[in-house]
Parts: sequence; C-alpha cells; structure tokens
Amino acid sequence: MSYSFEQHKIVGAIEADDPFWRSLEDGVLALPRCAGCHGWTWPAHHRCGQCGSWQFDWVPVKPEGYVFSYTRTRYAFDRVLERKDDVPYVTLVVELPEAGNVRLMGVLKGDETGLAIGARVRGSIDSPSAKTKFYPALRWEIEG
Amino acid sequence: MSRMRGATAIVGIGQTPYYKRGTSSEPELKLALQAITQAADDAGIDVRDIDGFISYASERSDPAKLMPALGTRQCRFASLVWIHGGALAGTLNIAAGAILSGQAEIVAVYRSMAESSNQRLRVAVAQNDTSSQYLVNGLDSPAQILALRSQRLMEHHGVPQSALYATVAASYYHARANPRAYGRNTEMTAEIYAAARMISEPYRLYDCSRENDGAACVLVVSAERAKDMKQTPAYVLSAPMGTMEGGGALEENWRPYYATAGQRELAERMWRESGYGPKDVDVAQIYMNMNAMGIGSMVDHGFFDFEEAGDFCTFENLIAPSGKLPINTSGGDLAEGFIHGMGLIPEAVRQIRGTSVNQVPGARLSLFTGGPGDLMSSTALLGSADTL
Ligand SMILES: [Zn+2]
Repeated sequence: MSYSFEQHKIVGAIEADDPFWRSLEDGVLALPRCAGCHGWTWPAHHRCGQCGSWQFDWVPVKPEGYVFSYTRTRYAFDRVLERKDDVPYVTLVVELPEAGNVRLMGVLKGDETGLAIGARVRGSIDSPSAKTKFYPALRWEIEG
Repeated sequence: MSRMRGATAIVGIGQTPYYKRGTSSEPELKLALQAITQAADDAGIDVRDIDGFISYASERSDPAKLMPALGTRQCRFASLVWIHGGALAGTLNIAAGAILSGQAEIVAVYRSMAESSNQRLRVAVAQNDTSSQYLVNGLDSPAQILALRSQRLMEHHGVPQSALYATVAASYYHARANPRAYGRNTEMTAEIYAAARMISEPYRLYDCSRENDGAACVLVVSAERAKDMKQTPAYVLSAPMGTMEGGGALEENWRPYYATAGQRELAERMWRESGYGPKDVDVAQIYMNMNAMGIGSMVDHGFFDFEEAGDFCTFENLIAPSGKLPINTSGGDLAEGFIHGMGLIPEAVRQIRGTSVNQVPGARLSLFTGGPGDLMSSTALLGSADTL
C-alpha cells in the first residue's frame, strides 16, 4: 500500500519520523522508544543520543494528554494557506504522560470551553487532506 | 577569563536606510555593498583591505559576489554562522577567532535583505527546514511557533500583558528621535496597542518585529589595531553562542526550560567570561523577533525573574537616559526596523561611542542579544576601554 504523505513529502528537517506518519495514516499513534535504553526519543531521530543505539521500537500510545501550550492563529500565513478559511484556529502542544511526557502538536477540534494550559485532551486522527498537506494529522478535543 | 575578552573591537559601522519590505529599489547585493563601504568610511579603513567576511542564517550576499565590487585585495576568511537570528552575536565570536588566530585582520560582519530580490523575509529565514510536525498542524511562521512559548510565559509563568506593552512603548518612544527609524512617525498609545489586530495569540501586531529591506555592517579588528583608529573602539568582552543539552531542534520538546529565550547558559557564560553581571549593564539592545521573547531574554540574562517582570518592565524603566535598563534605544526590531536583528549591533556600538540619538550618559557596558527562542542563540557584551 502506498501512503498519501509519501507522495507529498515535506523535506528539510530531521526526517526520521516516517514511521510516525505511516502508523498515523494506518489509524494508530505510535512513538519511538530506544531499543537500547528504552528512553522515548522525540522528535524521532536517527540515533539515540543517550546510549548510542541506532534501533528504535515504534510503540502504540494512547492519544491522551495535557495541554502544554497553544496559540490561536489569527492570520493566514504563507506556507499554511490551505487553512485560511479556518482562521482563527488553535494549535496545541500536548504532553503525553504515557510516553515520557513527549510533546506532540495538533489542531484543536470542537468546543474551546476549558482551553487552558494543563487541560486534559484526547486525540483522534484526521485523514490526509489539502489542509494537512496530505499528511494524516492528530486533532485534540478538550475532555469535559 | 576567556582569551577572547577584549581582544577585538568594533571600529566601524555602516547602515543603509530601512525601506518598507519589498520596496527597496536596490537589490540585496547592492545594499550589502553600501553598508560595508559605509562601515569602512566610518572606520577610516580602505574598503579594499577588508580580508574577512562573516554573516549568518540565510544571507545570500556572499563574499564571492561582493569582492569584485569592493576591490578586495585578498579574502582570507569567510564564514556563515548557523542557524537563524540566534546567530547574531555569535558572528563576533567567529570574527574574534579569525583575528586572534591570525587568519584575518579586518573582518566585516554584515546582513542584507531585500524582499524585492528575495522571498518574504519570514519565509526566507526559515530556510526550508521547518518540520512537517509544524506545517501539517497549521504552523509556519516564527510568529506562530514563538507564540507557543510566549503563551506559556504569560499564562503559566504569569508575565503580564503590561510588560509586553512597555517594550512597545519604549521602542516607539526611542524611534521618534531616530531619523533612520521606520516607525518614527507611528503613534503609540495603550489604546492603539490594544486595538491592533491579533496575529497569533498572544501576539498583537505591535508585539512583532517589522520586516524591512536594508543592510548593516560592523567592522571588527584586533584591540591593538583599534587603539589608533578614528573611532572610539567598542571592545568585544564576550560573545558566546550555542545551546545546552535538551535544546536544539526539538520541535517544542525543549526540556530544561521552555518559555524564555534559551539563553540562560549563554548569559551565564557571558557574565563569567566578561567578569561583569546584569547589574553592571548600562544599556541593552534586546533582540525582539517578538517582544515577549525579548522579555524571556531579559529573564535568562538575570535582569529579573518571572514574578518581577511586571514591576521591572515599565515604560520609565526601559527608556533612556535614566531608566533602570534602557533597551532598544534606536527603536530596535519593533520600531526602528528589522533586518534579521543586524541593526542592534551598530546601536550597541553607538552607545559606547556616545553618539546614540537616545544616549545613556557615560554608557560603558552595552549588551546586545541574539534571536531569542532560536534553535541555537548567542549574546554579546561590548565595553569601553575602561571596562577592560
Ligand atoms: Zn538509547
């Protein structure tokens, strides 16, 4: 099977997160854990800086966590113009306690009531679309 | 103390006017040539004798293109400092390294930008290395990414909106006296500030740096050579660059601390290398890609802590001549103009020379900081001869 994001690759950053996008497109949130020292390594990288291992296990993780920070975008920026009709929209940085408090980003979905640093959120997965640059995307909902 | 301490000095400054972004009739390369030749004239140096060239980030006016028009006799050293605006102060460290090791004698540190001959600044500076983790989630611009940090600075650490406004008010107050300042005629009141449109919360329009076309250059030579030159030397006491473990390209996963500028360890090194501390600083040019990030820089430098930010950051405390810490005395990145922070170095030098339009009387120690919140950053302390 060929993945949508692979046809629309964004290049230039660390580029070790293909398994993240692949599993997300398959409907599962998975994060890399070092096969040597078992530390969560995020953002995904090519080598574990703590123990020197080059091997990572991609472990399924429940998309549940807490808002670490957020911004409400009020202007349609140049390289994310696909979302211009959604302005204003809120992007969250979420800490996942189950995965060593690694922080993942994602757009807020649904009611904004209770939006604050520390709020509990639950994630779901959006299928690739123009808005997500044809990548699968996590979206977060505030837990009432 | 470091071997770099006081070993080099800035002896020439050059600056083109600030143009509205995309409206400079001159291309970037010509702006760079103008700034470099002005700096040479200012220093009383034959521009052909400049033998070292240093810039940073996405600079495109490289020395190979500049040399033929400068009549360069010999280019002996050329370097581009990594990452983005965080590299600003680190350029002086590289210059000092080149001079101390005998690789070059007269080093031009410069930056030129013209959106008319390049992309939109905020796109060009990203150098196409923005991770998919941001772009997929609607985050593109430094304004949005830094907003994540500042939301936490304000909501979690309690830095008040009034502190942000004080930096805006002080910057526009200083710009008014500066004929070069792009924002010199912009009226600024608390009402105008609060009514301006939101960009990416918590930032309003005036919390953000400008985007301008323009170029600036400073010339660095050895302290020995500086003694006999035309201008009062501004000695480089310390200009460390870098970041700590748990910093770097971590996509909002910075661990040791998150909401400030990532300059705490840099500032500690600078105080150690220079032998001075925050209480000794007379005047500061604080890089403000976004003003809350600049407040984070001041926290990291030890001027105040989170709880004190509201009391410290008032209009009266931040203005020349007699504020507790006059900042951005030319108007800075918010009100003078923004060419990736490069305008801050000439102003830091003018304060040592005693020639700023908003002079702090008798300024001896003049700080300027690199881009806050960058993946790596830098900071620098300049001093007069009697601080050595
Ligand atoms: Zn490991």
